[in-house]
Amino acid sequence: MRKIYLFILITSLLLVFSCSMLVQAQAKFNNVTITAFCDAGHNARPFEWYADEFAKAGIKVNVVTAPFANVYEKLTSEFIAGTGAYDLVVLFPMYLGEFAGMGYLKPLDEYAKKYDPRLDDIAAGFLKLYDYYGGKLYTLPYDGDVLSLYFRKDLFNDETEKSNFKKMYNKELAPPETWDEVLDVAEFFTRKTGETLAGKVLDSDFYGFAFLAQRGGFAYAWWLAEFASRGGKYFDQDMNAMINTEEGVIALQRLVDLLPYCPPDVLSYGYDELTNALILGRTAMCLQWPCNWKKGNDPAQSKIVGNVGVTHVPGVMKDGKLEYRAPMPCGRTLAVAKDSKNPEAAYYVAKLLSDDFSLADVSTPETGLDPFRKSHFSNPAAFSAFGPEKEAAEYLAAIANNLTYGFPDLSLPGTAQYLDVLEVNLGKAYTKELSPKEALDATAKEWNSITDSLGKANQIKIYNELLVGWKEVGLID
Amino acid sequence: MKEISTNILIGRNSFAKRITLPSIIILVVTVVGPLGFLLYASFFDWSLTVPVPPRFAWFYNFGLVFKDARFWNAFKNTSVLMIAGIVAQSILGLILAFLLNRNFRFKKLAITILALPIMVTPVVLGFNWRIIFHEHYGPLNYIIRFLGGAGSSWIADPKLALFSIFLVDTWQWTPFVTLILLAGLQSIPHQVYEATDVDGATGWQTFWRVTLPLLRPMFVLVILFRTIWIFKIFDPVYILTGGGPGITTETLSLYTYISWVKYWKVGYTSALALVQLIIMTIIATIFVRKVMQRRRV
Repeated sequence: MRKIYLFILITSLLLVFSCSMLVQAQAKFNNVTITAFCDAGHNARPFEWYADEFAKAGIKVNVVTAPFANVYEKLTSEFIAGTGAYDLVVLFPMYLGEFAGMGYLKPLDEYAKKYDPRLDDIAAGFLKLYDYYGGKLYTLPYDGDVLSLYFRKDLFNDETEKSNFKKMYNKELAPPETWDEVLDVAEFFTRKTGETLAGKVLDSDFYGFAFLAQRGGFAYAWWLAEFASRGGKYFDQDMNAMINTEEGVIALQRLVDLLPYCPPDVLSYGYDELTNALILGRTAMCLQWPCNWKKGNDPAQSKIVGNVGVTHVPGVMKDGKLEYRAPMPCGRTLAVAKDSKNPEAAYYVAKLLSDDFSLADVSTPETGLDPFRKSHFSNPAAFSAFGPEKEAAEYLAAIANNLTYGFPDLSLPGTAQYLDVLEVNLGKAYTKELSPKEALDATAKEWNSITDSLGKANQIKIYNELLVGWKEVGLID
Repeated sequence: MKEISTNILIGRNSFAKRITLPSIIILVVTVVGPLGFLLYASFFDWSLTVPVPPRFAWFYNFGLVFKDARFWNAFKNTSVLMIAGIVAQSILGLILAFLLNRNFRFKKLAITILALPIMVTPVVLGFNWRIIFHEHYGPLNYIIRFLGGAGSSWIADPKLALFSIFLVDTWQWTPFVTLILLAGLQSIPHQVYEATDVDGATGWQTFWRVTLPLLRPMFVLVILFRTIWIFKIFDPVYILTGGGPGITTETLSLYTYISWVKYWKVGYTSALALVQLIIMTIIATIFVRKVMQRRRV
């Protein structure tokens, strides 16, 4: 009997010891408080959802938010002033070059060795273009934005429409593979009130295409789609602007030519307007971010549930081969501020959000976060809330494909200035104030002047650091 | 006796200095300090996006401002909004003031309702009008289409975008003009109108030769305030159009904001702000002088 008691006692002690070890192992930090910064809205929710999980690791996270449009000025002013207000920041990758180049961010390589963020699971394009700068790891992905082509499957599958298209253009109706085809399909689907579309009489005008043109909302990316597919580059290696090349002019002329087939207020379209144009049944197709598919399949928001098709961005034919590059505007990454007093804890939270909890975050309608990991793309079942698993698989395959052929945002000191000037001049071309060539020439002139004013030698150095990642994904030779 | 009074005066003076000192300090810290910094920064080639120290550049930034096509575009847009806004709001405000200057039932309620647009937060106002102007779902186009019109892309069409901002500004600030002019109308003594009746003046003559000249100080006040406010117009432009399409609606305030928080050009933006301050000071001085001259007469 005594032996039994002794056995129970020893077993209990061992159990208590193991549990305490487990708790110790989980509580990696000793009641550390960190401050995280994120753009306001649904994408900041995961910081609240996992507060208990962070607490288990001994970390309390205070979250500060700012409106989407003010993220750059908010972060820049804190970084410039060196306030150390934030430990962990959610930033748009377009600011990586500027923030890392200016020394505002902490390299994460050492922490990544300690707490593995499974970098090999991250889509290669995103990892090389948006997480590394100058060969060092600076960020972990949080939101895998990339543009894809979204289209109305019901319209493209309609027999009458297919037959009419064949008669008019002497080819099969299908989601456009090239930008030339985009123009044809957009023209074909543009109809007036009273005309018939897929057997139904229209009670309002219908349009073939729509794009984002509102200044300050990543509007440049819609021009970038064809520019990059044609092999266009922002600058040459000496930082001379290269956007007014033939590739740029053709791409801009294309959008100008598409305007008659877009809703008349398209020039004021931001993210919401563009999304609604498709999912509320006003356009046949558009280029959009990945959450378009999720929203399009949400009955609370959409009139086209079950009919949202998604495929790669249109490209151009080169030597009989289709070439396309999908712009990756926006996106979100997690970075640790250089002035953080608790960088390791900040990194650990970033790692949890970027890896451990990420599948749940990118597959819920409660955030606008989009997939970026191979384990996300290979898990269509997690996205089945939005539609049948087969459709989810098609959606994920299209996003993964576009990320593989992604084209990054410009990411240099002065990025906001370069892109604002570009968007101003794109707008002038859309409004016919300038021809596409004049608009891009004016942009190139201003870009060169910005480069000079920011210090050309320093800009060249930072740009060439970026090119390291670009070379690795085959964007440049 | 004289000595005593001097002492009292000195004492009072010292007391006066003591009680005004905090205000002077606050004024120096919040007004003179930033203004001094603005002046100082405007002489430097200074950008916060590059790790290069500021370089003294004399009047280089001022030269850039006057050579900058975007500055002139913003100046033109602001001037158009200012002139059109002041003219329209003055005419509408005067008509409404005349209507409200009569006695009728629910007059107080009408004045309260009229004053509501002034109280709306600029951001809320911007978003509300964004919905109103929506090409497809907006009530404005709905009404136009209901009446047989075609509707327009109010904030996306470069020909209409600035006009749309003018509409919003007029909607919000006409009540202010109305209330000022109404106060002016109510301050005109009744005897003046009795005298014009005795003299046999027609309604038009009374309006043109009596009422309008007596409202002149109120008009000067309205024009001065509205000039300053429209010169600084920011919120509706930022929310409705962001300065677009292209830069067709970019105003001076918006351009200054972009130049600072997007471009981080400290020196250039300081010069830009100083140029605007000088323009505004000249306009204000002219108006104030006009008012003072009138008073002396």
